Amino acid sequence: MNPPTLYDAGLSDGVAIVTGGSRGIGRAIVEMLAAAGMDVDFTYRENAKAASEVVAAGQGARITAEALDVRDATACGAFVEKVVERTGRIDLLVNNAGVIRDNPLTALEEEDVRVVLETNVTGTFNMARAVVPFMVSQRRGKIINISSAAGEKGGRGQTNYAASKGALNAFTRALAVELAPRNITVNAVAPGVIETDMSREVRERAGDEVLSRILLRRIGRPVDVAGAVWFLASRFADYITGEILHVDGGFKME
Amino acid sequence: MTDIQITKEEIMAIFPKVAEIIAAALPCDLERVKPETSLIDDLGAQSVDFLDVVFRLERAFKVKIPRGKIVKEARGDLSEAEFDQGGVVSEAGLQRLKTFLSEVPPARLSTPLKVADIPRLFTTETFCKMVIRQQRATAAEPPKPA
Repeated sequence: MNPPTLYDAGLSDGVAIVTGGSRGIGRAIVEMLAAAGMDVDFTYRENAKAASEVVAAGQGARITAEALDVRDATACGAFVEKVVERTGRIDLLVNNAGVIRDNPLTALEEEDVRVVLETNVTGTFNMARAVVPFMVSQRRGKIINISSAAGEKGGRGQTNYAASKGALNAFTRALAVELAPRNITVNAVAPGVIETDMSREVRERAGDEVLSRILLRRIGRPVDVAGAVWFLASRFADYITGEILHVDGGFKME
Repeated sequence: MTDIQITKEEIMAIFPKVAEIIAAALPCDLERVKPETSLIDDLGAQSVDFLDVVFRLERAFKVKIPRGKIVKEARGDLSEAEFDQGGVVSEAGLQRLKTFLSEVPPARLSTPLKVADIPRLFTTETFCKMVIRQQRATAAEPPKPA
């Protein structure tokens, strides 16, 4: 890698892993990192068609897609090994894979609670546990967890989702402490209401009322979130760790 | 648990590679890493360095070393209560450590020895033995179904 100039983000030629990269926010993150010159390996759960579209759209970029259920710790380990075998290192892990199963507490099925916590929280543990030993050996690396405004501000019908995202915020701060001695930063990006397939139901249910709670009076775009990830992944964020960066247009719960 | 003898020859056969890994992980000059060198006391290693050393050993020797294994193995057949008495290693525990950590000078294995201080005793040779034990355990495993 050439020594970066003062205003070079330092991302070109880096290796990134992004979980849940076939659609929505994940896709925007994959595309932005690839556009910055990174070699991006992203995972998807089941939508192979969407995943291959992302790879095809990134003409000339180094984008690889791999089916992976982040709840499977062994599979996460094998996936990371495979990436390292090909690239020799990992500079960035973006834990983006997440699911939403909204319902009032008493209407939640046991499965709704389990799937959300296992994917959003255990999945993040699984990926971090697989990647961190490599970053420790490299003495450098960045981990970015995609949290949510719900992690701090609540939201009706989101006890399971909010609990999972609150856990990610706590995980982010604790892991930042643990890995700082090895020059590894750990941060989170907490999006508010973003225009994606995953949030469609929430947005439709909330209607226009949701806009009145967003200071900037618009729904966010996936690229708004990807931009924050790009920044935290870049050299410009080398001195930031344990932070939760809110990308929510000034979202207020009332 | 009975300890199968590990010979000096076996240890010295892998020592150069283990030393190289330790020197790269900490990092420190290779010549400072002798078989009897304590990683913590002599080389200033921290707990995160142990994880790195173990991780590198796993990759270099193609073995899986479960985290915490070394401390559990150090206890041998003794239960935690028999081994650990209010954070201090019991008399029976000390006897056990003298066998398990035969590479450690006996003077370092005297009461009171805090359980938390056991990793301070670990030398390069301790890690060589850990790799050899795991190599043997892996070889003894029945082949996994494809």
